[in-house]
Parts: sequence; structure tokens; C-alpha cells
Amino acid sequence: MNYVVVTKGVPDFRHGKVVFKEDNTLNRAATPTVMNPNDFLALEAALEAKVKYGGTVHVISMGPPPYKKVLQEAMSRYADKLYLLSDPKFAAADTLATAEALSAAVRKIGNIDVIFSGFKTADGETGQTGPQTAWKMGYTLATHVMEFSIDPQLKKFNATRAITGEVEFTTGPLPVLVVTDPGFQSQYKNATQRLNLLDLQAQTKKRAQSFEEFLTIWNANDLGVDEWKVGIKGSPTIVDSVDPIPRAPSERKARMLIGTNLQHIQEAVQILLRSDQ
Amino acid sequence: MANVSLEMLGEARRLMDKYNRDYSEQESVVAVVLGHKVEHLALEAIARGADIVYLTDHPELEDLRLQPYTKIIAQMSLSKEARKTYDKPRYFLFPATNNGRDLSSTVLAELESGLASDCNKLYIQDANISHRAKTDGTPRVFSRILHMKRPDFSGYEWSTILCIDSPKIDYHPQACSVIPGSFKPLAQDPNRKGQVIRHPFNLPIEDLRLTITGREKLLNAIDLSSYNVIVAAGRGISKNPSKGISLCLELARALGGELGLSRGVCTAQYTLEPSLAQYITEARQIGETGQTVKPKFYIAVGISGAIQHKKGMDQADRIIAINTDTEVPIKDFCDVFIQGDLFEVIPKLLEQIKNGKKLEASVN
Repeated sequence: MNYVVVTKGVPDFRHGKVVFKEDNTLNRAATPTVMNPNDFLALEAALEAKVKYGGTVHVISMGPPPYKKVLQEAMSRYADKLYLLSDPKFAAADTLATAEALSAAVRKIGNIDVIFSGFKTADGETGQTGPQTAWKMGYTLATHVMEFSIDPQLKKFNATRAITGEVEFTTGPLPVLVVTDPGFQSQYKNATQRLNLLDLQAQTKKRAQSFEEFLTIWNANDLGVDEWKVGIKGSPTIVDSVDPIPRAPSERKARMLIGTNLQHIQEAVQILLRSDQ
Repeated sequence: MANVSLEMLGEARRLMDKYNRDYSEQESVVAVVLGHKVEHLALEAIARGADIVYLTDHPELEDLRLQPYTKIIAQMSLSKEARKTYDKPRYFLFPATNNGRDLSSTVLAELESGLASDCNKLYIQDANISHRAKTDGTPRVFSRILHMKRPDFSGYEWSTILCIDSPKIDYHPQACSVIPGSFKPLAQDPNRKGQVIRHPFNLPIEDLRLTITGREKLLNAIDLSSYNVIVAAGRGISKNPSKGISLCLELARALGGELGLSRGVCTAQYTLEPSLAQYITEARQIGETGQTVKPKFYIAVGISGAIQHKKGMDQADRIIAINTDTEVPIKDFCDVFIQGDLFEVIPKLLEQIKNGKKLEASVN
């Protein structure tokens, strides 16, 4: 079995790492780059597949050269091989142009049974790239996946999906692109699987320390993509402007109270308790 | 018909009425209806603003599966009929629900055009663009461009997304997914005239290869809309997130309410005490892309009041804000503003609430 995990580098939104400007907008330059947190679950799903069915986990990311650190972070979770798609021609890509580059890389690796993708990046937040990659590959698509299993003999998969307020059980043929739901959970049933898991985790952590040995970097020529279908040239959409959202006009007149003033606190509590009836 | 569909029809009607005036055209609002036993929805779509409805009604479409739905919608978009004066739709709207967003992605991959997600403001006008790839850097006017505005994660910035032809490729439709609640539906008008075009179900068996084998309702979903009091924690808890969440929980319980979260708290990935980690869940997120609540009391703890948060709570009867900064936006849409450090203010409130209840108990 062969698996691909697609991942992206995003601003580190964690408290203590993220830097905001005075107007509460993101200071991108001052904020470090990390692997998109939702991608942890895609890696977890790929590792579960490897534990249960064997095979090779290939992790791909598209970004400038420093983003190889994102792939190192991915490998510390799980990866057998790493691929960085890096070329000025790939820059400023929207989701369609990104899906084009990712698909080309998946085809170049070849024979991929399952592509795992996280749900929504922390910055772009469109949730479009996974489904668009599946469509370009002609793969069956399963989104919002909470649980997942494969039948390697029948070349089929089973997926439990989260829909609003309910779960849906689906089955279909490989190859498939799985978008893991933020609630995804891997399921290990026996000691053999759990021991295998521990071994693989130890191995990948060691590999991650010298991750560049396992890293291949591909540019636009290597992938043989049409330059009008990737990057800024291949993106139908552009961000024309970014404007501050105007503050809503004043709608209510606030009673201003001081927190250190006991009478004010009592007044606030009076209001809260009165409503209780 | 889902509310978001009615909202999109209303907005599409307004957009095209203005477009037809501005550009002296007679172009249409087209609704796409797929499913099983959904004929009545085609008629409702007309009553709510559509000029034309493409309808495919078939048992295989009873459940939404992306493959057949995408193929049929693409067929409808590209179908050639005598009455059609266009090759592809100019604009395409989808709901920004889980299914809607997935479907918008695959349809636009199939139609090979541009898609913006989670938009809440739309207008059509000519755009003057200078872009290194699209115009070689020189300014050019692109006519009749759908301006798609989406709020960013913080709720403080709007990106305006445009779908613009490249020198090599014509990119139509210009598409976006639309946040539920962003627009107003039209009142139902049973006298509105429109045409229903039945699109045949014509797909190879391969497109039906995904099978849905069952469904189950989820039992323990949190429903914040059922509480009279919501205490919402915002990024003001950052200096001690565990203490902050625990104080907000205590305050909520003392008032018979429930805990909500701002988006900032959901994305911050705080390190929390294990017993508290379960409370950081998107199900508790309040705002444009989370829950909308209208409780009797909304207590916003350490929340600045970005528009995307405001939209989820500004209909509450009484809004109380606790914040150290008196200049934050929420000051303009709350009823009571307690200036102070939440880590000091909430314990004081809790103590007074306890006293107040003791007093009540002793009087009764």
C-alpha cells in the first residue's frame, strides 16, 4: 500500500507564538511557521493505515525552501519519505493551482492508494484544497472522516463521516482521498498493533533528526506542470484588497462599572440575579 | 428548503436586478435543485427569486454524494439549449455548510474556475486591476466582476476576492460559498413567474461508486441555544487559560448557564489542565462560523468583540462585558461593561452571587 499525506506550513497561532499588530490583525512576518495543526490528524490516519496494512507513507508540502522544517515536523509524527514542492512558479497559488501542483506530485510518486489531508488550514481556512486535489486525481472522496479502515484485498475502504448532528457510514473503492475531521480517532484493537505503533513512532522520531536524507525537492520542471495552471499564473482567484472590517455603529449604551469597586460589583450581580426568574 | 438557500436566492435576485440595470441586460437567476421527491422545492425556488430552475429528481440523489452531485451540477452549468445565450454561468453561489463547501470545491474543480469560501458580502462592478500575472502589471478594467468579501479568522479584516481571467484562460463561473445568515431571503411570492427545466439523470455507474450504508444521530451534542445564560471565554484568559476557563465555568454554573468560547480561544491551542481540555471544542465556539445564541444574558469575558464574534451573540437580551481595555469594540454593543481583570472580577462576582443567594434563601 502507498499513502500520501499533504500538509501545509501556516502561521503559529498558539498563544505565546502568534504576534498581533495593534489593530488585532496578524503580524505574519513576526509569527513563526509551523505545520497546520489539523494535518496532525491526517498523519495519524496514515500511521494507523501503515500499522494495520503496511506500506509507505509519503508526505508532501508545497512552499519556499525554509518550509522543509514543516516536513521535519511532519516526520516527527510519521513519515517514510518527504517531498517539498518548491519553485517561485508555485508561489501565490490559490486552492485550484495548489491542487494542480499536489496532483502532479502524487502522480510522479505513483501508485498511491490513499491520500490523507487535514481539514482546513489555520490561515486560508477554505477547506477546498483536499477536495479539489481528489477531483483532479479522479479519486473517490471522503470528507469529515472520523474513523477509517481499508480492505486491501477487495481494494475498498470504509469511512465514518461527521455530518451536522449525525454520523454517516460509507464504503467505496480505492484509490481514495480522505479528509480527516478534527474529531478523527485512530482505533487500535490488539497488542500487536500497539507494539507496531510504538516501534514506528520511535523509528520516525529518529529519522526526523536527519530528515534531509529522506527529503526530495521538486520544482515545476520536475513535475512537468503547465506553468499557466500553477502558482500565481494558474490561480483564478486573487485577493484584491484587505480592509479593516468597519466597527459596527454603537448599538447599546453601556453602563460602565469599575471592577475594583464593590458597589459596582454588587450592582452587576443584582442585574444578573434579577433575570434568573 | 434550507434557510441558507432562501438567503442565497434573495441575494442573487438583488445582485442580478442591479446587474441588469447597470449593464442593460436581461440575465437570470438560476436555481439548481437535486434530490429525490424535491419537485416542490423547484416551485419554491421560483417563488423566492429564481427565474429558472434546473431540476434532477432521482432516487440515486436522495442522499448527497459528492460525485454524482458534482457531475450533474457541472452538466447543468454547461448544457446547451436553444434558450441559453451563454456557455457557462457568470456567477455561482453555494452554501458554506459542510456539504456545501465540499460541493463548491469539487464543482469548481470540474469547471476549472475560481472559488472563494465563507463570504458574507457580495457586489458586482467593474474592477480596475494591475496584476503581474493577469495584466503584466499594467492597469486593466475587467467588467462585471463579482466582488466576494470574506472576514478573516480574527474578524477584524475583510479580504475581497476576485475571480479574474488570465491571458490564457477564461475563468467562469466566479464562485463562492456563502455564510448562512449573511443575507435576507425575499418574501415568498407565489405569483413570480419562472421556468423549471428537467435535467435528465445521465451518469455512468462509476459515479455512484460510493455507498452510504447507514446513519446515526449524535446524542451528546452541546446545544448552547437552550441556555438563558452563556458565559463566553475570550483571549483575555491567555495569561492563565486553565484558571480562566475554570472561572468562566464556575460563573456559568452559578447562574444556571453554560460555557461558550470565542474563536480566538478555539485556535489558541492553550496548554490546559487535563480535566479542562474537554471544554475547548468547536461545538462551544460562538460567532459567525460557530453557534449563534440569543440568551437572556451573555457574559463576554476577555472578549474584544470582533464582528465575526458579534454576529453570534448581539441578539442577546443583555450583554455584559468584562475587560481591562475600555476601548474595545464590545463597549459599543453591551449593556454593562465591567472594567477590570477577569481573574479578580469573576471571584468577586461569584462571592456576591453566593451572598445574594444566601439572602434569598434566608428571606424565603
